Amino acid sequence: MKNKLITMQEAVAQYTWDGMTFGHGGALPVGSDCIAFFREMVRQGVKNVNLISNCNTQGSNLLAAAGGVARIEVGFSGLEVYGFANGLKRAVESGKTILEDYSNGGIPNRLFAGAMGWPFIPTFVSWGSDQQWCSADEPDAYPNTEKIPEIKDPFTGVSMGAMKAINPDVACIHVTMADIYGNSIMLGTEWSRFELSRAAKKVVIQADYIVDTDCMRQFPNLVRIPDLVVDAVVYWPMGVWPACSTGVYDSDEEHMFYMNKMLKTEEGTVEYIDKYVKSYSTPEEFLNVIGKEKVDQLSKSATNFLVDPYRKWIKSDAEIKELMGGR
Amino acid sequence: MDYSKNEMMAIATGREFSDGELAIFGVGLSMLAGFFAQRNHAPNMIAFTEGGVYGSTPVGGLPWGIEDNRISANATSFTNAIDALGMLVASGRVDNAVIGAAQIDKFGNVNTTGIWTEGTQPWKVGKYTLPKVRLNGSGGANEIAVGAKKYLIMAQHEKKRFADKVDYISSPGYLNGGEDRKKYGFPGGGPSAIVTNLGILRPDPVTKEFILDAYFAFSSVEEIIENTGWDLKVSPNVKMVPEPTEKELENLRAVDETGSLRKK
Repeated sequence: MKNKLITMQEAVAQYTWDGMTFGHGGALPVGSDCIAFFREMVRQGVKNVNLISNCNTQGSNLLAAAGGVARIEVGFSGLEVYGFANGLKRAVESGKTILEDYSNGGIPNRLFAGAMGWPFIPTFVSWGSDQQWCSADEPDAYPNTEKIPEIKDPFTGVSMGAMKAINPDVACIHVTMADIYGNSIMLGTEWSRFELSRAAKKVVIQADYIVDTDCMRQFPNLVRIPDLVVDAVVYWPMGVWPACSTGVYDSDEEHMFYMNKMLKTEEGTVEYIDKYVKSYSTPEEFLNVIGKEKVDQLSKSATNFLVDPYRKWIKSDAEIKELMGGR
Repeated sequence: MDYSKNEMMAIATGREFSDGELAIFGVGLSMLAGFFAQRNHAPNMIAFTEGGVYGSTPVGGLPWGIEDNRISANATSFTNAIDALGMLVASGRVDNAVIGAAQIDKFGNVNTTGIWTEGTQPWKVGKYTLPKVRLNGSGGANEIAVGAKKYLIMAQHEKKRFADKVDYISSPGYLNGGEDRKKYGFPGGGPSAIVTNLGILRPDPVTKEFILDAYFAFSSVEEIIENTGWDLKVSPNVKMVPEPTEKELENLRAVDETGSLRKK
């Protein structure tokens, strides 16, 4: 089995390209998405990305604000209690980004169909609403009959909608812990990460912790993403910041609002990117950008006890450096 | 007694939940209403999140999102969206739920997707142009609207929000009224009430048009009609909703730790 640990820069350089279809998303807008991976996509200037998003997050908000999103298929485009996602909203309202609406469950179901190798999945969800009748791809056809076409249940003759399967070119999936081969454990809701890991053609894992494979042997039921579907593993502490990672850190309320405020304008976005995207290259430098005090404060979460059973297998930064050949 | 309009709205919503129900709430206000009900009069109500966080209650304040750490600190099961939002909500197993609305119409159709300039709405011009204001989309509310046995809609009662026909149907209520929902085979039963900061609207059993059922101690039939964008019918049995009891307010405020409903 191959050691799949690579750096964030290598992961984005190898697994992203202009015009790609990119799947992401964890615990809705406030948790467990690969935000650090998105920062690196912005730093490397990836453009014309087609996003597959169960929900918008600060990652898609940032990439859209930076002008990198051509198209997004999404169930929810806001930031929940943190308000509208200003970067994505601006990109959509200006016509720069095409947004195709589904519901929160629609994207997971379409990924599930993609993972199963089915061309479509039947649905009552999104059916009989403007999610069916409005298509951003064919704005002149209303009510639209191609986005979620009508099908008949061959057994009863009942009408339903058919939602098209999705197989993203690449997915980056944030997990709580992974071993160097890609076996991964997610604490908290998986949301759609399980089916995303099977639907995507290539999978990059972004992990808060790197653990010994013995950990996976102790909790094999919890390893919902096994090594065989994983192409690369990136170790990146605080990788979901400013959103939360269950068991590891809470959301940074101040920075969630600040970041969203900055993404509201082009000038603010440039300033944000200078301060929080271009200002580091290693995980250590990234933690310094957030600030030690802040990291410590956010890392005191009421969910910390969830990590206790796994602690003895967590690799130190020095051990990880050695596993990466000193990089 | 001293309470805010939003507190009255949350309590009126919470009263619509019965003990033992399987329930799902949206984020923010609706979550407060739901957990208030659980604390106040429905201790055996079972609530879960869209992503399958089961058995938990908020810790440390109102969650910033449906799957925030504040709702993940005392769970008994974590699963996923296909399980929770699909197998339990969209499939028709959930008894009761709450969703929010930016715009709502007389048949309980909800718009949370966008606001169009008058005359450019897709259904009016037969064309899907960009909205003037892009809102957040349906999230999981479409699953609730399609699948829940019944559900409540919470909204701020303003004329521009209470439209004869919504600009965009994000989550279907009774569509064009009457039996229209049946055409689509939805497993769920449709909205049972619209609870606002001014009163409660309920659907006519036959036409499914929402009519005024009750007002609050601080509102009136006239005020509600004035703030409704369609020709609102008034139930012959229109009544005042009982004011919050001390116990209800105490329980609501215990759930609303940060006082978000107290703020104007």
